[in-house]
This record gives sequence, structure tokens and C-alpha cells, in this order.
Amino acid sequence: MRCQDIQEKFPDYLTGDIDAKTRKAVQSHIADCSTCREELESLSSIWAKLGVLPEERPSEDLRTRFYSMLEDEKQEIEFQRAPRGFRKSFSGWLEGWWPRRPAFQFSVALLLLAVGLTAGFFLNSRGQAPQELAQLRQEVQNMNQMLTVSLLDQQSPSERIRGVNLSYGMEKPDPQVLSRLLRTLNSDPNVNVRLAAVDALYLFRDNKMVREGFVASLSQQSSPLVQVALIDLMVDIRERQAIDALKVLIQDEELTPEVKQRAEQSIEQLSY
Amino acid sequence: MDRPQTDNQIMLEVKEGKVEKLAILFEKHHVRLFNFFLRLTGNRGSSEDLVQDVFYRILKYRTTYHGRSKFTVWMYQIARNAHIDQLRKQKKDIPLEDQWEEAASPDPTPDEEVEHGQEVALMRQALSRLPLKKREILVLSRYQNMKYREIAELLGCHIGTVKTYVHRAVKDLGQIYLELSRETVS
Repeated sequence: MRCQDIQEKFPDYLTGDIDAKTRKAVQSHIADCSTCREELESLSSIWAKLGVLPEERPSEDLRTRFYSMLEDEKQEIEFQRAPRGFRKSFSGWLEGWWPRRPAFQFSVALLLLAVGLTAGFFLNSRGQAPQELAQLRQEVQNMNQMLTVSLLDQQSPSERIRGVNLSYGMEKPDPQVLSRLLRTLNSDPNVNVRLAAVDALYLFRDNKMVREGFVASLSQQSSPLVQVALIDLMVDIRERQAIDALKVLIQDEELTPEVKQRAEQSIEQLSY
Repeated sequence: MDRPQTDNQIMLEVKEGKVEKLAILFEKHHVRLFNFFLRLTGNRGSSEDLVQDVFYRILKYRTTYHGRSKFTVWMYQIARNAHIDQLRKQKKDIPLEDQWEEAASPDPTPDEEVEHGQEVALMRQALSRLPLKKREILVLSRYQNMKYREIAELLGCHIGTVKTYVHRAVKDLGQIYLELSRETVS
């Protein structure tokens, strides 16, 4: 082989990723050719010298940043997935009931009509039926409340948000659920859940416990987002009791300038 | 059944939404990736930022992963893009081709020089004087355990071109190293 052909094999020789036959050809060539031998020797020596550079370790900060990014992404996915999954399973359930052939679809429609008419007839003719309905409604309410409370104890933020949203369906505010929602507002680790709790509790703003809870919560929040949401809410429901709490809040040195400004504005708005 | 999963299998699971599995790939590759950037940029801080950027992009573009090429080839493709974007951001007014030929600016720490001897400092300096493209190919084959075939796939060129580059890079590096050691002696 010519020198050029041999030298083309040098990069493979350096990494060791070379078959035995080619290696032998290179070795027998450099035994006779001093130019190629010197070239390969100098290449090999630098290649080996590159090994003196140690593998360095990044700071622990890199790992921390990676895992917090991963955690954010996981929450984002869960958040997007939860409501969609629920919708999908409900429509899937409905679809299961709906026959594919038009003839059967027609019979199902007729059947539903018949059921409706019969029920209407009986409900009108029997006096105690509305009472049974009311009982049924009460049971559904109770179930909803239980589900709300149990969802609020879940590990996943998206489940807890579902729990918060479920409370929208309550007709009569149940003290147990309200106090659980207030606890979520004050101590849930996730900002999105706390914000959802502000919105849900807003519906029960006429309740004395909720109004007092709002005022007390002002001093417990550290996230500017929740602070602003609460301050806006105070103005919205014209809660004058909040003025003192707001005055205390603006003394807080850790308060961001935006929140402080909003709090000062709201004191003015509530004062007249 | 008990055979450990390959990187490709893990990445496909990440693609399907099991993002927590990315932690396995991070633990396996982040130190080596950090050293890749360190040898290209010579700067610890920006190398850490770049590693973070690479894993951010992997998460963001996970649905585009097809598993046709090896995971590491895909990862280094992303790593190169991240590096190019960083160069672009740093020096908007210098054309990219010129930057590509520029030397890195290493920040050798005096402690290390004393600790590992002059050889390390010399080699680090010599490497930083090698033009970026040669340096990159050399680093990929010497330190990142990549086969010439994989580097060719990564750069979108012929395997012969990669070998020629490696050959020239090692030769040039030897020349630079020799000059530097003469300078230090005199």
C-alpha cells in the first residue's frame, strides 16, 4: 500500500477501532517507512497526551436546576391532562350508550321519550315525588362535598384543583368544606391551587367565616400573585374589615413594590 | 427481561409523556456533556447553562424524537445548536463563520495549574487555540466516545471527511503544543 493509503488509516489506529488485518498492514508498512512511522508516533503521542485533561464536575447547582425544570414540566403535563381525560371518559361513556345503526338510534330515542313522558305523568300525579327528588339532590350534594374534601388531600396539584372546582357545585355552603377550602388557600404548596381556592371562595363571599378567612389570609400569603388576587377581592366585595390587615401588610419589608402599590391603592378605595 | 433499557428506549418513553424518565438520561450524560461544552468554550458558567439548555430543549422537542439515530447523536445535535445559538447571542456583530474559526477563551484556575502540573495547563491552552471546528471534532472523538460514523451522521458529512479532520486536528494540536512548550521554557 502507498503511504497515503496507510496514513488514511491513522485516525482508526488512534481510536483502536481498526480490524486486525488493517492494523497489521499499517504495522508492516511503518517498519520500513520512517516518514509514516514518525508521523504516526507524533500523532499517537499527542492523542495520549490529551488524556491528561481531567474530567471535571459541574456544580451541584446544575442538578438542582434540572430537577426543578423537570418538576415544572410534570406539573404542566398533569394540569393539561386532568380535565381533558375527564371529558374524554365522559364522552366515551355516552358513546357506549349510543348505538351505531340508525334504526337502533331511532328506537333509543323513542324509548327515552317514553321514559320521559311516563316519569312526567307519575311525578305530576304523586304528591310525595318532589320530596324524594329533594332527598336525592341532598345525597348528591353530600357526595360532592365528600369528594371535594378528599380531592383536596391529594398529592397531585391538578387533582386538588379539581377538588376546588368541584366546590362550585355546592348550593348551600357546608362549614366543613369551607374551612377545608380556607386551609387550602392558606397552606397549599402550589400557587395555582391557592389561586383556584380564591376564585372558589369568592362564590361564598356572603358567608361570615369566608370573609373573615379572607382578611386573615392576607398576612399568610407569600406569593405576589395570590396577594394581589386577595387584595383585588377585598376591593371587589368591599370588605372594610380588611383595611387594618392591609395596613399591616404594607409594613412588610419583603413585599414586592407592585403588591405594595396595589395594597395602598386598595386601602384608599376601601376608605371611601 | 432484566436487561437495562437503552437510551433510545428511555427517550421514547419520555416522548410518550413519562418525562420523569429523563432524569435517568440526565444522570448518565450530564457530566460528559458539561465537559464537552467546557472544552469548546473554556468557561464553566456558560457550560452549565448550555447543559441546562440542552435538557430543556430535549423536553421541549421530545415529540420530534424518532429513535432512528442513536440518542447521543440526537443529543449532540441539540448540544451543537444550543452552542451555536449562544455564540450568536454573545456576538451578534461577528459573522458566525468567523466565530467558528475563533479560539476559545479558557479561564485556567491557578490552583488547578499547581495541582495537575504544567502539562494540563499547556494542553488546555493548546486545545483552546485550535480552530473551533477541528476542536469540536477532536473533542467528540477523543472525549465523548463517539465513533467516526456517528460524528459523520451528526455533522451531516462523509466519514472520510471526519477522519481527515481528526488527522489534521491532532497534527495541528501537536504543532501548537510544541510551540507553547518552547515559549514557556524560554
